[in-house]
Amino acid sequence: MDDSLEKPSSLFPKTPLTDEAPEDDEQLSDEEDGGLDWTKLLPPSARPIIPRRGEKEFEPRSGGGTNLQLHVLDRSRLAMFDTLRATRTISSKAVSYAVWHPDISRSHVTVARGIHFSNMGHSAPRSVQGEDGTSKMQRRLELLPEEAIYLIERGSVFCWKKSDLEFGELPGLSDVSGTPMTVQQAFSEMIGKEDLTIEKFQVYAYLKRLGYVVTRTDPPDSYYPIPPNLSVSKTTPIMQRIKTLFASWMSTLVQAVAPAFNWWKPVSLSHWLHHDKKYLSLFQSMRFIPSGHSTLPTIQSNVTTPYRIFYNVYKPSTPFKKSAPPPPDFQLVVVNARTAPMPSLQELSDLFDILPEAPLPTPRQRRPPTCAANNAPATPPTRETPARIASSPLAEKSLVRRMFPWLFFATPPAPPMPARRPNPFMALKSGKKIVIVAAVDSSNTSFFRFSQGEFTEWPMV
Amino acid sequence: MSSDTLPIPLRVSNKTAYVWDVDDIATIRSQHRLCGVLTGTLPHLSQQNVFLGVPLILFPEEAALLVDIGAAVLVDDPAAYKQPTVPQLERWSAEQQESVNTQATYNETKVAKENQSGRAISEEALRKRKEREERKRTQAAAKAAAEALEGGTSADALFAPTEPQLQTPSVSDPTSSSAEGSKKSNLPYTIVIPASSSSLEWYDASDCTYATIESARKAGIWDYPATLSERARCGVFKDLWKQGYFMGGGIKFGGEYLVYPGDPLRYHSHFAASVLESPLASLHPMEIVAHGRLGTATKKAHLLCGWDDDKQEVSYLSVEWAGFG
Repeated sequence: MDDSLEKPSSLFPKTPLTDEAPEDDEQLSDEEDGGLDWTKLLPPSARPIIPRRGEKEFEPRSGGGTNLQLHVLDRSRLAMFDTLRATRTISSKAVSYAVWHPDISRSHVTVARGIHFSNMGHSAPRSVQGEDGTSKMQRRLELLPEEAIYLIERGSVFCWKKSDLEFGELPGLSDVSGTPMTVQQAFSEMIGKEDLTIEKFQVYAYLKRLGYVVTRTDPPDSYYPIPPNLSVSKTTPIMQRIKTLFASWMSTLVQAVAPAFNWWKPVSLSHWLHHDKKYLSLFQSMRFIPSGHSTLPTIQSNVTTPYRIFYNVYKPSTPFKKSAPPPPDFQLVVVNARTAPMPSLQELSDLFDILPEAPLPTPRQRRPPTCAANNAPATPPTRETPARIASSPLAEKSLVRRMFPWLFFATPPAPPMPARRPNPFMALKSGKKIVIVAAVDSSNTSFFRFSQGEFTEWPMV
Repeated sequence: MSSDTLPIPLRVSNKTAYVWDVDDIATIRSQHRLCGVLTGTLPHLSQQNVFLGVPLILFPEEAALLVDIGAAVLVDDPAAYKQPTVPQLERWSAEQQESVNTQATYNETKVAKENQSGRAISEEALRKRKEREERKRTQAAAKAAAEALEGGTSADALFAPTEPQLQTPSVSDPTSSSAEGSKKSNLPYTIVIPASSSSLEWYDASDCTYATIESARKAGIWDYPATLSERARCGVFKDLWKQGYFMGGGIKFGGEYLVYPGDPLRYHSHFAASVLESPLASLHPMEIVAHGRLGTATKKAHLLCGWDDDKQEVSYLSVEWAGFG
């Protein structure tokens, strides 16, 4: 790094990575603009430090730039290309082996080493030919395409492609009966299988590199372990929607049949003419009938939407058991930003329909000491307790209400009055249901968080 | 762009153009002033997203441009993998074996040298280390046994390490099934996982290479640009590129491209460009405000690029937030 080439670059002093001028950070807008300084990645032998950003200039001088500019640019490019040339090497004691079966879109892990397999791959029974010619079922570890590509491209797995070739007595090849695969081949053959697109793979790899555990939301086969409560919700959305449709239809029916009950509607004719439109807004503003997201009219959308939950994401800190995954920390939608428009309200509410309700955000750790002093002697238990009390009846009620809103017609939702209410703004901001949308525009990924806030449950009075 | 150099093969699969050879990446960047996006995990820097490695994925505009100027050809990548023959695999296997052997001899000489220079670990140290490990193992075993006795509550902790073994019943003894398991299998050696396929003997792209977009479209491997908006993007991209600009993705700045005066490695972008499909395309006043505001806040001017599909021309208009009071 400290080669003689450094000398002429006194105009661009290499700042230590730790003490970047804060005003620089303010001026520079995004990680995009702070250029990546590949020169700081070299030499590869030393333990590499990941610099946050290098210095950039405004523009090259007309005519292609000064000699110095050209020199610095060449050095940056060289460093980049040298880093790119690094080969994937792994010790024979640490490498895992897998065999790619294109017919079932799975990679069968024959040798599993390392920590990756504690949260990747799943076991599936497959019939194997016994030595006496009979086939029997045997469980084996299999990787989904994205898992296989990720492990291959990070240099942890050597992958073979299943081949029917007669190998005879080839050393090393006869027992795997496959042909060696390159990373390139893995990309070109595994993407496109099992609903995997390049965008989805890029998001997967991005999160995996950061240490998240990423699994599929929709099980690609019946052996794929999914979180317990999600397996229920897999079947419910349609049922639930039918129920809501049925319920709303029922409520109109009830209103029509028993107009005496509905003394809020003096003109019953307009109800037939205008389909309650006038009253709906009136009622909602008065919050006399159930309001909020659970009573939104659900329209069955038949169009194929790109907004479907694809991945379950777990924080690195979440204890994860592969055979019995816990409920996910985040659920992720991956869209191609070039083809997918902004999600419509309908698409978003369809997503929220199948999402589980998120717990209330935990209050900020640092609280003003005065507030704590007031309540500390009286209520020593944890501050989550009132929040939980407040949330659980609410959640229950909203579920029941969603199913039979006409039952609860006359009972206004009683706002909970816990001893100390959690800050409503935090709860409103974080929302009850959260979905992350990853928009990939030809390899540029942006993550967006959409959440459904429930204003009706947080009255300001 | 000299005509004597061979066109760069762009490996196309799933309508995405990849570049796998670093020399090709260098040519595309240095000679053709196109950046693409590196998306692969860098080997040995595999737990970060700041620096990424091969493959380079080109924007479809970039790939179309390279093919248009004759600098690149499109290769149907999945079709290029032919069924390898046994002799080819034999040669490949022999190569691997040779590499293993070379490494083994190299390691042996290194060990011998170290022994001579007296840097090897002394007998005493070895014995001590063994004792230490033995102690640790017994302690761990005792702890595990105690936890097991405690029962269900600590089962999670117990199961975690054993889980992989439970789930991989078919994992056979690593040394016997590892591909190059030979008499030297007790010594660790380095395995190279190849990135690019061009070195494979059975990779042959001669019958699935397409020199024009049209031929590739007919073969069904490439269809960009197909619509008016895609044509507009290609037209704007090419026009800016011809003027010497470098383009990057602009989705994070509310536009289609970021326009750089030089290589993005060294220079800041001047514009965030958004493509309008026709000079008559309507534009909401809110968009102008948003573009102007965001562009200025990020020290860029927003560039509105109107594509005229009939004349094949681009007209430019830049917006900046004037900020008068």
